[in-house]
Amino acid sequence: MKILVVDDESIVLESCRRVLEDRFEVIGAGSAEAALEALRRETIGMILLDIKMPGKDGMSLLKEVKEKWPNIPVIVMSGYATTETVEQVSRTEAATFIAKPFTPDELVEVVAKVINKEGKP
Amino acid sequence: MFYSFRSKIIASFLGVTFLVGIVSLLVGGHLLTRSVLGEARNRVAQDLHAAREMYDNRVRMIEVALNITTLGYGFIAALKDRNTSDLVFRMGRMAQHSGLDFAGITDEKGQSICRIGTHSIPGKKAQPPNPIVTQALEKKTLATGTVVLSEEFLKFESPQLAERARVDIIPRPGETPSAEKAVTSGLVLSAGVPILHEGQILGVLYGGILLNRDERIVDTVRGTVFRNEEYKGRSIGRATIFLKDVRVATNVPAQDGGRAIGTKVSQEVRERVFEKSERWTKRALVLTDWYIMAYEPIQDIFNKTVGILGMGVLEEKYVDLRWRTLSIFVLITLAGMALATALGCFMAGKIIDPVNRLIRASQQVTVGSLTPDIGPVSTGEMVVLQKTFKEMVAAMGRRRAESQDRLLLSERQASVGRLAAGVAHEINNPLTGVLTYTHMLLRKKDLNEEVRADLQTIAEATERVRKIVKGLLDFSTQTKLDRELVDVNRLITDTMALMENQALVNGISMAFKPADDLRTVNMDRNQFQNVLLNILINAMDATKPGDNITFSTLNSPVVNEAGQQGIEISIADTGCGIPPEHLNKLFDPFFTTKQVGHGTGLGLSVTLGIVQRHGGTIRVNSEVGNGSTFTIWVPLEGRAR
Repeated sequence: MKILVVDDESIVLESCRRVLEDRFEVIGAGSAEAALEALRRETIGMILLDIKMPGKDGMSLLKEVKEKWPNIPVIVMSGYATTETVEQVSRTEAATFIAKPFTPDELVEVVAKVINKEGKP
Repeated sequence: MFYSFRSKIIASFLGVTFLVGIVSLLVGGHLLTRSVLGEARNRVAQDLHAAREMYDNRVRMIEVALNITTLGYGFIAALKDRNTSDLVFRMGRMAQHSGLDFAGITDEKGQSICRIGTHSIPGKKAQPPNPIVTQALEKKTLATGTVVLSEEFLKFESPQLAERARVDIIPRPGETPSAEKAVTSGLVLSAGVPILHEGQILGVLYGGILLNRDERIVDTVRGTVFRNEEYKGRSIGRATIFLKDVRVATNVPAQDGGRAIGTKVSQEVRERVFEKSERWTKRALVLTDWYIMAYEPIQDIFNKTVGILGMGVLEEKYVDLRWRTLSIFVLITLAGMALATALGCFMAGKIIDPVNRLIRASQQVTVGSLTPDIGPVSTGEMVVLQKTFKEMVAAMGRRRAESQDRLLLSERQASVGRLAAGVAHEINNPLTGVLTYTHMLLRKKDLNEEVRADLQTIAEATERVRKIVKGLLDFSTQTKLDRELVDVNRLITDTMALMENQALVNGISMAFKPADDLRTVNMDRNQFQNVLLNILINAMDATKPGDNITFSTLNSPVVNEAGQQGIEISIADTGCGIPPEHLNKLFDPFFTTKQVGHGTGLGLSVTLGIVQRHGGTIRVNSEVGNGSTFTIWVPLEGRAR
């Protein structure tokens, strides 16, 4: 399964890749545009999406992704994990939310939960 | 404005005094007039009575004189013998002693035998009828009283008598002269005594006093009744005898300085007294002066009204007395008004001066002074006002200091919040990398122990950073309150349950004294639980094994500025207490007394933020070594401040 990680911070992209590459094929995208291009090019099984990015931000991208690829589960990430942010995300079609920073175990756990919920291998 | 207040007070004082003065003047004046003039009328009426007595006495005196003469030794014999010279001598002596103007003797048929005067022995001319003699002969008894004698009779008796009786009538000013130019008949006090001898009437002895131009009766009355009292050079009392309505004897002075003989009484008096024969008292203008006059009719022996007896008292004396008294009234009123003005000024000063000082003090407060000068302490209600003003200024000072503190704090919190939000986002991204890589490295099996230990330290330090950033974020975000009606007793029980294990481990006993009837509070349950947890955690950290932490609740008697009711939650511990120098920094962000790594210094700051957003307050009492009590007051229907 291919997991698309969208974040303008390369360290976050790299961290996710390092944590998940054992079990998944990880594709990194540094912007919303790059993410859309990857989505069109590849068959993506799951998206890890940062909310706050320069240019088109995560929430707009989430909306567009859900319109075009409604079956792809999206996990929203944010370094601004306030109650309000969590509420805001819960009102979208995102599968779940993970606050940055996270440990490898926490990330793996969240991804596993989403996969189980979606009923995919 | 101040002057108008002062004027109002003075005007009120003046108004009251003026009103009281005017009322007492009117009432007093009225009573005075009534009593003084009433007194004068009474006096005149009494004087008239006295005058009447004297008038009647005069008649009786004539009677007595006549009787004594008839009883004189040899009188009867002289009469029988018609010894006229003896009879005239006897009558002359009698007339001289009794002041009679005329006297005479008639025979049993009424014909004159002899008389005093120029023609003591009558000639052949028939004597005009003498009503007194006629009555004495008819009734065979003493006849006495007032009679009007014709000019003819008077001439018969004595031409001088007729001359004296003549009074020229002086018309009243503005009155057309009557046809009658003069009074020629005489008003006479007279008596006639029948002279009896052995049952036979031998004749009648008569005598009388002509009242026309007679000054004796009127002057005796004035002298006796008024004791010749004078007022402003004028005699206070007047007595007058009228024949019909013409003054024939009086001591009312005429304009030429003589006596006002010949003047007439007013039409009104004439009608009432002369024509209707009534007693009458009235105020009357006698020549130039006002008199209070009393009149009564004079009736002759046939009970026919023939004249008037009049008495007068100078009204001016009584009017002056009234005016003098009224003047004293007016003076007292004026003095009262002057006193009221002075008192009003004084009172207004007493009231206004402190008020003015308070106004100046208010102006000082307006321009920023919190130590205004309100002047010396007054008395009465003003003290309360001054005290309240002082308290108000002091409260303003406290409020200002508090609001400055609060402003400073909220500014600091806001800037910290903005900073935190930015920092959190920026730090969390690299922190994700640090955490990920550290944990990835730690997973490696072939690490030597030293490297592993170092990596472990990095991982723990990074966890700390993560917590600090989380705390910063919590602190900076002013999350909205999700309110619901909360049973705070229940919330406390739940919160205590969360920490029960920790308390057991620490060897601390927890207790709860709930208020039975605690009212429910409209609050954010989760956030408020954080408040309780934060304070409880702090209490745990401040206590050692064996200490107690006690929760208690009550329906607070305190209301906030908006008048809202609330409840109080106390969390008391028997721990180490808080040093006084730390008390005022307790709620500052990043202030902590805990060891590095054991707290972010944001807990109580966040706690206070939540309570304040509920419209509540936190109070801390602490004593080093004896523990601390945190008391939270929260309104039932909280509104964000």
